[in-house]
Amino acid sequence: MRSPFSLKQEFLKNWILGLQRCRSSKKNMSIFERKKVIKLSADVAVASARNGITCWSRALIADAVKEGNADKHLAEKILGPASERQPTEKVPVGAMAYNKRIRSKKIPKRSSVIRRTIKCAPQAARPSSIVKRLVGKRRQILRSLIPWGEFMNGVSLIEETLDYIILLRAQVDVMRSLASASKLVNLN
Amino acid sequence: MSSRRPSSRQSSGGVSRISDDQIIALVSKLRHLLPEIRDNRSDKVSASKVLQETCNYIRSLHKEVEDLSDRLSQLLATIEAESAEAAIIRSLLM
Repeated sequence: MRSPFSLKQEFLKNWILGLQRCRSSKKNMSIFERKKVIKLSADVAVASARNGITCWSRALIADAVKEGNADKHLAEKILGPASERQPTEKVPVGAMAYNKRIRSKKIPKRSSVIRRTIKCAPQAARPSSIVKRLVGKRRQILRSLIPWGEFMNGVSLIEETLDYIILLRAQVDVMRSLASASKLVNLN
Repeated sequence: MSSRRPSSRQSSGGVSRISDDQIIALVSKLRHLLPEIRDNRSDKVSASKVLQETCNYIRSLHKEVEDLSDRLSQLLATIEAESAEAAIIRSLLM
């Protein structure tokens, strides 16, 4: 069910929440650390805007809090208390913006969300001629660019890519607006 | 042959048939998202070119996020104005 908020509003809301959760430690941060907080909270916010529906968004959050990730604690802080977090093993039955068909993905056990065992849609039994053309190096590169892309194939890869791009654009637009607003404010 | 199965539920070991039409539709959606190809009105863009442009576009979006994060961290460090707007931005983000 679509929330009334637009994607950008959803992202902005999540982003601000995440940033405010890091506020106390921000007092004497270096610029480098501040950049890390800004970027990580933005990435987590963009993934949260999808509410667990897409594979890439679950991937982004799962990777952020994965054991061994240097910024795991920061990510957990940004995400807030576990009770407020979105479930990451949700069955994607919701409608995506552009395609009402969602492949049912295997629901991993809670512990294995962290361990990247989500299987995304299976390949077609008989690849169409066009799918055959989507093979090789370019497809590999695309898969490396989408969170958990290496587990996606065929149609699911393209669907996830479409969604990922839409969200990335929303993220860039909002961040850019904020940067211009900050600049304008500074100039006054 | 185009077999549009309405069901998307995965039965044990089940596989959904994907038709050429579905792929074409998706690839064309992708194409419309890409700034370069969208401006080039020609209908004949190969799937592989679309993939290539998609990868480039995603990379450029990633880079923009990086750059914007840099800019924002610098800007926010230097907000010194005392206007109401500055106070709002400061309280929201710092």
